[in-house]
Amino acid sequence: MKLLIVDDSNVIRQRIARLTADPRLAEVEIIGQARNGAEALDMFARKPPDLVTMDLTMPELGGVECTEQMVAKKPDVLILVVSALSDKPTALRALKKGAQGFLYKPFTDDQLVTALQEVMRP
Amino acid sequence: MSDLREEEIKVFTDTVTHYFTQLTSEAAAVRGAYLDSSGESTPMYDFTGQISVSGLFRGSVTVSAPRAMIRHLLVALHETDHSEDNLRDTIGELANTLAGNARRHFGERMEISVPITAAGALPAGTGGRERPYVIMVNWKTYSASLVVDIEKND
Repeated sequence: MKLLIVDDSNVIRQRIARLTADPRLAEVEIIGQARNGAEALDMFARKPPDLVTMDLTMPELGGVECTEQMVAKKPDVLILVVSALSDKPTALRALKKGAQGFLYKPFTDDQLVTALQEVMRP
Repeated sequence: MSDLREEEIKVFTDTVTHYFTQLTSEAAAVRGAYLDSSGESTPMYDFTGQISVSGLFRGSVTVSAPRAMIRHLLVALHETDHSEDNLRDTIGELANTLAGNARRHFGERMEISVPITAAGALPAGTGGRERPYVIMVNWKTYSASLVVDIEKND
């Protein structure tokens, strides 16, 4: 399962990358990290991932729009939104655009691993 | 001038205590909250992150913390990169998380920006207005400040 990590925070990207070493995510392989939606779409076009962790509040292109464009190009891509935006309409909008899951920041290590497992569950 | 009600200030105090409990299993304590009527008694530390607020509200949410506190937070997250860039990134992410979590109460029409960060205080005139609410936070042996300066747009 090829993973693209999208977040404007380097610390969050590094943390998500580290947590994918968890044995429960043995099938996950990181293929790229992007700092904003525009960079993510560029990486997506060059090397389409199977799985994406997607921040929402980012410079240049936000996560909801990025999700929509990725799903339009690859409808079976699995997207887990990882965001601090804690109002329900935002989560619903992201899910409506094609995301499979939503994890609120701040998250524990176990919450991220579990959320990724749930998104990947057939 | 900030026109928040007491329960709205509590949204931010709850959010900041939840942040530290969730990430480190060690709660932060809110030492007090006050209206900085002079505009000059807001403590600023080694790193500062700020989120601008627009939409139904206007203003900013600012967090400032000492270097040692941010390093300790990174240790708690098992993060080994304590470079200057990562310390700034962490204070920005903290500001983003606190403002984003507050939307659970204020709703999606409280639009938030990406963070701006600085070593030390932000340059004069960056978002600050006359009478912000200052929430003093203790975590472990450290003190940090959370400055909430938002009001409803007319």
